[in-house]
Amino acid sequence: MSARTNTATQVLFDAPGPKGRRRILVLSILSVLVILGVIALGLRQFAMNGELDPGKWVVYLRADYLAFLGKGLMGTLKATAMAAVVAFPLGLLLALGRLSRITPLSAAVACWIEFFRGIPMLLVVYAFLLALPAYGVNVPRFWMLVIPMIMVSSATTAEVFRAGINAVDKGQHEAAAAIGLTPRDSMLHVVLPQAVRLVLPSLILALVSLLKDSTLGYVVSFNELQFQGKTMVSITRYLVQTYVVVSVIYIAINFLLTRIALALDARMKARATGG
Amino acid sequence: MIGFENVRKEYPGGTVAVEDFTLEIPSHRSVVLVGSSGSGKTTLMRMINRMVDPTAGRVLIDGEDVAHLDPVQLRRSIGYVMQASGLLPHRTVLDNITTVPVLRGTSRRDARTRAAELLELVGLDQQVATRYPAQLSGGQQQRVGVARALAADPDILLMDEPFGAVDPIVRADLQQELLRLQRELRKTIVFVTHDIDEAFLVGDRVVLLRPGGIIAQQGAPREILARPADDFVSRFVGADRGTRTLHLEEVDGRRVVVDADGRATGVLDHDRTAGEHMT
Repeated sequence: MSARTNTATQVLFDAPGPKGRRRILVLSILSVLVILGVIALGLRQFAMNGELDPGKWVVYLRADYLAFLGKGLMGTLKATAMAAVVAFPLGLLLALGRLSRITPLSAAVACWIEFFRGIPMLLVVYAFLLALPAYGVNVPRFWMLVIPMIMVSSATTAEVFRAGINAVDKGQHEAAAAIGLTPRDSMLHVVLPQAVRLVLPSLILALVSLLKDSTLGYVVSFNELQFQGKTMVSITRYLVQTYVVVSVIYIAINFLLTRIALALDARMKARATGG
Repeated sequence: MIGFENVRKEYPGGTVAVEDFTLEIPSHRSVVLVGSSGSGKTTLMRMINRMVDPTAGRVLIDGEDVAHLDPVQLRRSIGYVMQASGLLPHRTVLDNITTVPVLRGTSRRDARTRAAELLELVGLDQQVATRYPAQLSGGQQQRVGVARALAADPDILLMDEPFGAVDPIVRADLQQELLRLQRELRKTIVFVTHDIDEAFLVGDRVVLLRPGGIIAQQGAPREILARPADDFVSRFVGADRGTRTLHLEEVDGRRVVVDADGRATGVLDHDRTAGEHMT
């Protein structure tokens, strides 16, 4: 599968010639210069307003500051992990439901998926924060964040799984049927293992977006990283510094996840081409 | 014995793949269904293991209508080899071969022992057992496909253009292996191909199909070559091509077989009588 994508890329994009390569090099250098310039301007602005004062930054090495943000980080990771653990299997079930040959089931699941895929997650959070308590339904703050995350993420991952299942070579269904596997066995032992392998990198990227979705925890005052940062700003007044530190933490985690996804993808490519 | 009785296949939308097909396939022989695309040859073969159900007519195995058999059980009792092997890419060669026997209730250990025998039977090294299909060459994959089809020791082996995707040298090799296997195993083989040379090589009987599953001619290869029923058959078997119309020329007291273009293809063997060839 991956090998085929590679050749498709080679077919669609001609390798650039000497002229093209020179043009690409010049444009790359130019854009790097522009980006560096913008960063320099920003830093100059910060410096003029005293934001680069070391005293405003070293406080983030203090144990109590770190513990405060660390508590937020734990909250973020807990919410993300819980949401992923429920949402991904649920997404798989939804995908199977949507692919079901039982038309009413398939239609109902399709409606459910399209609804939660199309709606902003903030609205779902508001439903749990504002609408449902009006009808006497109260859930803990953790779940006010995590349930909407599950609902939205399971709908998007359902589509990822569905794409994966559809991407498994049609010959595999046929091969499985021909050697006498039941449709259930064929789905369970032939199609799904291959589909999950195909979408594993996409799932990790879904994890990245789940992690970012957890920042909506500040809406329900759940102690995740973003909310802790917000609280810290209101205490220390170090707006720029706090959000830079918080951003760096998010970027670091997501960078790590993305690297894992890429490594997995490369490993599977190697396997698919017989490495 | 496999019997087709007035079988018809019509797809929704009115496409008729097979109009009215009747044929008896004797046990322990290899029969090749040959025709160009649209001849319904694959459709017909797939009716045997109910991958396709006929719109009308019956398919019988040893007198029993397959329509009354559970498709899954039926398929497990019939070996199936397909083009590009159809191996499961996420499973090792060994797991691919043992899948069906294990599903039929054979213990894993027995299935593995049998798989090792089968690898040897199809001419593969035991080392390939732990590899994944993508790590094998096309020819090796096809051999694994044959081993898998034989794993449950079926009486019937269906082969759907099994050697269509490998290069000519490997194909010739695999064809010879199949002939050797068939001499040992005496299965009932139904083989589908569009390659008439392959049909004549591997088939005890050859059934030549026109579009719509109409039998143009059937018989032993030599019968078809000797007496093509009509122009369609002549053209299909290439009787009008130089390589099929041979004549003899005397060279230094020996009789040399020469094709229509004047190329020598062989020498007549004086020690063997015609009768020996015909058995």
